Amino acid sequence: MIRLANLTKAYGTIAAVNDLSFTIRKGEIFGLLGPNGAGKTTTIKMLTMLAKPTSGCATIDGLDIATDQKEIKRRISVVPQENNLDRELTAYENLLIYGMLHSVPGRQSKISACLHLVDLWDRRDNLVSRFSGGMQRRLLIARALLTEPSVLFLDEPSIGLDPQIRRQMWDTIRKTRIDGRTVVLTTHYIEEAEALCDRVGILSKGAMIALDTPDALKAMVGKYAVEFVNGDGKMIQQVCRDREEAYAIAQGMDSRVTVRKTNLEDVFIKLAGGRIE
Amino acid sequence: MIPGGWYPIFLREMLQFRRKLMKLGYLFSAMVVPVIYLVTFGLGLGRNVQMQGTDYVSYLIPGLVAMSSMNNSYTWVASSLNLNRLYFKTFQVFVQAPINPSSIMIGEVLAGMVKGLFASGLIIILGFVMAREVSVTPLFVLTLLLNCFLFASLGVIVGMITNSHEDTSTYNNFFILPMAFFSGTFFPVDRMPAGLKAVVYVLPLTHTNIVIRQTALNSAGFISLGVLIAYASAFFIIGSRLIKNYSE
Repeated sequence: MIRLANLTKAYGTIAAVNDLSFTIRKGEIFGLLGPNGAGKTTTIKMLTMLAKPTSGCATIDGLDIATDQKEIKRRISVVPQENNLDRELTAYENLLIYGMLHSVPGRQSKISACLHLVDLWDRRDNLVSRFSGGMQRRLLIARALLTEPSVLFLDEPSIGLDPQIRRQMWDTIRKTRIDGRTVVLTTHYIEEAEALCDRVGILSKGAMIALDTPDALKAMVGKYAVEFVNGDGKMIQQVCRDREEAYAIAQGMDSRVTVRKTNLEDVFIKLAGGRIE
Repeated sequence: MIPGGWYPIFLREMLQFRRKLMKLGYLFSAMVVPVIYLVTFGLGLGRNVQMQGTDYVSYLIPGLVAMSSMNNSYTWVASSLNLNRLYFKTFQVFVQAPINPSSIMIGEVLAGMVKGLFASGLIIILGFVMAREVSVTPLFVLTLLLNCFLFASLGVIVGMITNSHEDTSTYNNFFILPMAFFSGTFFPVDRMPAGLKAVVYVLPLTHTNIVIRQTALNSAGFISLGVLIAYASAFFIIGSRLIKNYSE
């Protein structure tokens, strides 16, 4: 379980994360959703000890991120937004060094298992600099799983991947959820949050504006949405309580109009007044 | 069996270094600068010069060893740490590993030392070929090791505090390059004007050049050795601190 209490990070006078308090349950896939600059990465950086909070605190499995760093580092793994692999080392060497840094027992068989899991065993002796973006993301996941973490942090796991590869990435992420492992991910892809997450926290300008299951969040604003282009050429989404109301609005339109189920973007627009993607 | 948290960091650098060495271009580029100095100053300008009772090339070789060990230990660590921290973000992997900050320091410094020693080795070999008298005494080796340690530690400091890759070359141009020329590499420091001499004696490489040319430690050499140890300890402690207090 991860608990944040009034966690704040300021850079100069700007609060990247402002007074954040919430709880992530053990074993769930939790998503932090929000546009760029909402504070998702900063939150992850504080929880993974890359950034020191300005104020507030957080615990992971009851351990304090300010005082129990070494113990927490033994339990967590991080897939960062950047592909921070050693490009001039092979896939195998990357995992070997990481395994040594984390004192992973029985390294060789675990490295082999992790590379098989992400389908990179055949490429183990190739330099990472020759890998495609998707392969590098997969290798990062293999590296993170090597330590068998009880909490796995994924910062924008499918950033920069094309839609088909992204779906494969989701399957890989679902596979990582074993033995009660908690997965915390950030994303600015609506679909990704809906496809993967048990619960989603929506961040805007460093603050949490809503937190619940995707279904509950959507039910909060309404089940259906009408989408049309208005007289100024601007795309408008109107959220409706039920299908009948949506059709009634759609029938009154001259322009092209779509009636669809609401998604998390509608929730964000309703609550924050802007768009995510 | 793992000797400690520093070992994977050292091993990672060595794996990369080995790949670099296998590209012959690297070996040549490492040799170019010292060979240019040796030819220009040793064989060109210094052909008829006697220095401290020996021929000039024999005088120059220990100075070039000190200079190259400084350059290679320092530059490699400073620039790779800077790039790994700001651009490749691989430094963050170390920070997020359950090891002590001082292990990161030790691993980086040892890797820098290996690179400094490698470059020094090449020059010592050149020296055996070209100079009349080059002797590698235990004192020489000790000084060389200390020099590599000192400048690799300085490399960590600069690699941690600079905010762009261009910044590291600023440090290079303002500190390392003048030090290479004024600290007794090419001519003894006592030939300098008095005002400048005071500045030069503050620079660590000056003391390396004093000790590395002594066969037996005299009182001046003893002081210089003390200065080197003080610098090395200070740089190591500051570097470890910077790693420990790392926060984005």
